[in-house]
Amino acid sequence: MSDNHSSKPGWADNPTFIRVFIGVLVVSCVLAALAGLVPAFQNPKPHFEQENWKIFFAIYGFVAFAFIVLAGQHLRKLVGRKEDYYEERE
Amino acid sequence: MTALMNALLANPAVVLTVGAFVLLALPRHLASIWMLLVTALSAIKLYTLGIGEYGALNVFGETLTTVRVDPLARIFAVVFHIAIALNIIYAWGQRDRTQNFATLAYPAACLGGVLSGDLITLFFWWEMAAITSVFLVWAPGTRVTYLSGMRYLSIQILSGVLLLAGIVLIFRETGSLSFDFVGLRDESTGAIKLGALVMFLAFGIKSAFPLLHNWVQDSYSKSTITGAIILSIFTTKLAVYSLARAFPGTNELIYIGAVMTLFPIFFALIENDLRKVLCYSINNQVGFMVVAIGFGTINGAAGYAFGNIIFEGLLFMALGAAMFRTGTSKATELGGLYRTMPITMGLCIVGAMSISAFPGTLGFVTKGLIINAAGEAHNLWIWLVLLFASAGVLEHAGIKIPFFTFFAHDSGKRPKEAPPQMLIAMGIAAVLCIGIGVYPDPLYALMPDQAAIADYHPYSAYHMVEQLQLLLWAVLAFAVLVLIKWYPAEVPSTNLDTDWFWRVPGRSLLGWITGASRATWNALWGIFSGRIQAIMERIYVVHGPEGQMSRSWPIGFMALWTAVLLALVLVLSFLA
Repeated sequence: MSDNHSSKPGWADNPTFIRVFIGVLVVSCVLAALAGLVPAFQNPKPHFEQENWKIFFAIYGFVAFAFIVLAGQHLRKLVGRKEDYYEERE
Repeated sequence: MTALMNALLANPAVVLTVGAFVLLALPRHLASIWMLLVTALSAIKLYTLGIGEYGALNVFGETLTTVRVDPLARIFAVVFHIAIALNIIYAWGQRDRTQNFATLAYPAACLGGVLSGDLITLFFWWEMAAITSVFLVWAPGTRVTYLSGMRYLSIQILSGVLLLAGIVLIFRETGSLSFDFVGLRDESTGAIKLGALVMFLAFGIKSAFPLLHNWVQDSYSKSTITGAIILSIFTTKLAVYSLARAFPGTNELIYIGAVMTLFPIFFALIENDLRKVLCYSINNQVGFMVVAIGFGTINGAAGYAFGNIIFEGLLFMALGAAMFRTGTSKATELGGLYRTMPITMGLCIVGAMSISAFPGTLGFVTKGLIINAAGEAHNLWIWLVLLFASAGVLEHAGIKIPFFTFFAHDSGKRPKEAPPQMLIAMGIAAVLCIGIGVYPDPLYALMPDQAAIADYHPYSAYHMVEQLQLLLWAVLAFAVLVLIKWYPAEVPSTNLDTDWFWRVPGRSLLGWITGASRATWNALWGIFSGRIQAIMERIYVVHGPEGQMSRSWPIGFMALWTAVLLALVLVLSFLA
């Protein structure tokens, strides 16, 4: 199926690529947040007060993602079992 | 007989089903071309039918509408045909007759369900979908998949039995068998209707409502590479269609759907098997559709079902290609495949961006309809839940799938690029993701509620800014967590879910009940057989070789008794 052998690091492992990727991401995030401050880019008919908070979606996205990862990983302690858990019982 | 023939000939699902049976006798090397041809014939049949009702059939004094093409059924039927064609191309050259049969017969059953105009026809196709799909679960042919298939079949048949019970109760209440709005509650009293509730549960099992959801992870992830892709598409979408048809605007669905969007996020985060991650993604995605049905936004449900079939299918296909080349779908055993599978990686990222609803993708132009519905309803908490769930979708489907398959740690595997047929199928799906994402008008023209869609403009500046803020900052959170090494590493494990209840304590309980039944039977049989034995012994004593009745009698004794009996008869005759 597959050929297993070691090789030199690929482009995605190159530190320069990672730096550029992070840089582009940060700039994009800042631009998206700044766009929220421009009146022309705001919802003219908001349904909720939160939609008027300019960068609400940015903060909500960041916090929601961080919460899911940081809180969610503890679920493993509750439900995580050995890989062959069911094989031993069936 | 003529009416039956007309009903069969009018149905595109019958075209596919007949095609599936022909496959069983066809030379294997012609299977793929035949399947594509039959799918094209079915699509042409659907197109030539146009909007309307066909295939009327009188059964026991009731008129059944075996084929109904209306805008709601049409959008599902169209995307089902696209999905069938993509599956055939992806699995081009597959020679396993059982899988090829199920590749046509199972979608045919779901298509038949979608086109049903009455509840009896729906029930027939509902059960056909259960029976034909289980062959895909059993396809790997191991004991694990056999047991999983049996569990899957039990649950699907339970759904069918509940549907039948619901149909009977509804028919008793209303006298109608038409498959239209049912509604969970009585309009005048507000009380829950029993028949509707039973049918609601039947749809809920197939939609994988919370706590009824785990058959998806249990069965789909154990199927073959192509089987899992096919399974991921049809059953849950038939259920979504059925809910949209019978229970639009049901308030309970908003909250059921909201829970469905939330809990899979956390299970997907800790899951090591990436096919199971996508199964949790199905639960989450169907949750969005269920919320839309709850709000009565049928465009949202139908549009997102259309989109999901394409982009979730693309993710399943990309992961399937990696699995085909490496033999595994475990995150701990994958990684670094971008070096030798760059095209698959690129197509996977298109699917990931689409399911995350980045502007310019199919997800963006369909998911917005649902979140907008929560806004229109001024339901703040559901709106917040849907935004939170959107960040969750980005985490498990948008990032985790491509990241752990193609990047993350280097697994050392250097497989070849995916085979051409897989690349073509994934390429078509990716073109649809971006093409409809950029130009959604053809999809919007298929929407069931044209009046509502006319007022919806996905590419408003504020909608794009809001969505980009949400997604880009969520990606930033991912980058930060990876850089500071707070993003959890994958661990080889099995995560318990609701199937634990019937696979461990349920199995023990069943074992105990079986043992107790056996013991009770043995005890009762012991008592019964003891009595029988005693009677037999008594009979043996009397009638056996040594018994009194077995003695030989002298002829004179017999003649005497004959004379006595004849005399007795003579006396009785004289007296009478």
